[in-house]
Amino acid sequence: MPTKRGSRKKAAFFMILPLLVLFIGLTVYPFAYMIYMSFHDYSLVSWEEPKFVGLENYREIFRDRTARSSVTFTVILLVAAVPLEILLGIGIAFLFRDTLGEKVFRSSLLIPMTIPPVVAGIAWKMLYNYEFGPVNYFLSLFDLPKVSWLGSQFFAQLGVILIDVWQWTPFVFLIIYAGLQSIPRDIVEASLVDGASGWNALRYIELPLIQPLIWVALIIRVIDVLKIFDIVYMVTFGGPGSATHSYSFYIYKVGVSFGWDIGYASALSIILLLVITLLANFLIKALRLKEILEL
Amino acid sequence: MRKLCLLLIVGMLSLFGLGVALTAELDVWSSPDNADALYELAQDFMKQHPEVKVKVTPLSWEVLYPRILQDISIKSGTFDVATWDLMTAGAIAPGFLDLEAFAEANPELVDPDFDDDDFLPTAKHVYGYWQDKRIGYPFYGAAMFFFYRKDLFEDEALRANFKAEYGKELKVPKSWEEAKDIAKFFTKKFNPDSPTEYGISLMFPRTHTLFYMYLNFFGPYRRSPSGVEKFGEVDLDWGDYFTADYQPAFNSEEGVKAIQDMIDLMEYSPDPLGSDYGETLEYFAKGMVAMVPQWTACLASWEGAPDLQPVSDKVGIALMPGGAPVSGGWGIGINDASNNKVEAFQFIQYATSREADKFQWLKYRVGPVRQSVIMDPEVLADSPWLVEAYLPSIEGASHRPRIPEEARLEDILVGTISEILLGQRPNTIETLNLVAEDWIRHLEK
Repeated sequence: MPTKRGSRKKAAFFMILPLLVLFIGLTVYPFAYMIYMSFHDYSLVSWEEPKFVGLENYREIFRDRTARSSVTFTVILLVAAVPLEILLGIGIAFLFRDTLGEKVFRSSLLIPMTIPPVVAGIAWKMLYNYEFGPVNYFLSLFDLPKVSWLGSQFFAQLGVILIDVWQWTPFVFLIIYAGLQSIPRDIVEASLVDGASGWNALRYIELPLIQPLIWVALIIRVIDVLKIFDIVYMVTFGGPGSATHSYSFYIYKVGVSFGWDIGYASALSIILLLVITLLANFLIKALRLKEILEL
Repeated sequence: MRKLCLLLIVGMLSLFGLGVALTAELDVWSSPDNADALYELAQDFMKQHPEVKVKVTPLSWEVLYPRILQDISIKSGTFDVATWDLMTAGAIAPGFLDLEAFAEANPELVDPDFDDDDFLPTAKHVYGYWQDKRIGYPFYGAAMFFFYRKDLFEDEALRANFKAEYGKELKVPKSWEEAKDIAKFFTKKFNPDSPTEYGISLMFPRTHTLFYMYLNFFGPYRRSPSGVEKFGEVDLDWGDYFTADYQPAFNSEEGVKAIQDMIDLMEYSPDPLGSDYGETLEYFAKGMVAMVPQWTACLASWEGAPDLQPVSDKVGIALMPGGAPVSGGWGIGINDASNNKVEAFQFIQYATSREADKFQWLKYRVGPVRQSVIMDPEVLADSPWLVEAYLPSIEGASHRPRIPEEARLEDILVGTISEILLGQRPNTIETLNLVAEDWIRHLEK
């Protein structure tokens, strides 16, 4: 005779079954298939069955010049955009806390984050237009020469970095701002009563208290930047040359728009996944997030 | 209760009746540039064939091609008819119906007035065949043209100034060498009296645009008598980038010269590396440039440009300098997995008929593909340039590869040319040899 606990377990199993099926069908199976395909030569345009090639797709990554330049730009973005976003996000959160019009400012600052990247991309492409773009018009007010934002290596890279900073600094701000709101005011006030300056209270009390949130924002932004695609696709399409060719954009080109090379695109994706996983784990360990967040 | 049952029976019978009346529903996928025309043709077709419902779905190039590939790979038959870009012929061919075999098996379906021989010979192949398989009928003829400011080229004072400075007449350039002088003359930086800011508007971004733009420069070398002697005749499936024995042809002295022509012209153009289709159209529309190589579709966008009014007086259309512009255009074909092949066949015959071809050009500027339409008095009265510029452009066009690997090869070459134009790599045969090696490696894969 089945026990009450046993029938409860069965009921629970059947209740989560639909979700489990969906999870396996939409996540586990495609992921396993991607790993499988990464060891095969399979192109949608060749009309041939997948052919097992072992590690050949992975070896190809190291020979591929475009893959190398994609890594270079992704690293540039990581090194330039993420620290800027973190610093600006923290700075803005501190600067506008408890100021007049805080609510209005807070809401308007979040607008870039809420705009779909594709729409933002179209808007920025117009802003960067060489002849009619407002950015060059603004520069001309200071007698500065027109800049080819999409036609020179340096400015195209700078352009993408600026867009990323514009769009995602509000995200960092939001996290830090929420953290600041959660700090009990009496701790800060007590330190001020004890003679600490405003700077010391910020440096020795508030910053350490929101430190875990800074690390969380950092990890999320690192992962996001490694996956950057939409802005590159909409604004520069990776150019000029290979100046703004991000790694994710390259995967898209190989797998979908230019190559239909499912095997090679799968290998590129696995490498990206490994890098993201290793980097995220490294950061979690290095920043002692497990201890801080009591994970 | 009885009334309810009666109602149900009547309802079911009506539905059944409808089902009998409507024998097929055709799903037609189309690129946006020809969707409006196709939609109107579909309405007319449905009037003639009330038993067929035609649904035209416009899909952007970036979406249309992947969706066609996905659908024909799994043979799901989601669409019945699709327009396909000429470059994709090799990739999609296995999934498209062989129209010649189908027509042979169903002679009663062939429209006696269809006149297959009326199609322009080159158009018939590039928009219709992959190797020997007939995968479509020519639907939208296109090549790039050289648009110029007719009013400026006819201005007596400007002509005199040009002659005084260059010792020759100001006329529409026949070669890129001539174009350089004229572009310089119309660039304010080099000629403060120029009525335009820049001489020419060029689009060399790192997109597929650069792949076809390069061919406007390489094509004339490839197709010159010495080019044909060196590389052999052009194979319409492999295109001008290849030799007659299917080896890359651009890693040559001619390939380097073509890039040099592009570099030489860049200083007379607004932001050539950062501009694409939309930007160059706008520069010309605003009267900032004197010349622009573009597709026929841009004509429609200039109709309302205030700075180009009246368009007939201000915009001239000529054959591309060098005489071998890159081809574009679309064929229309039937999904091999379609369940409505008969109706689809009737529809594509209608959509590519002489009447449809003429209507599409006059109303929607969808390039004609039939000789009789180009020579039609009404069409010639509307667009006299079809004979002097359109016909030689379509028939003498340079072609991109139509082989399945085209997209991958395109990205490899575009990356390197973009780096050369940017000054990151030298414009040498050695640089182009690296691309050729990559191409061969991918073709052998």
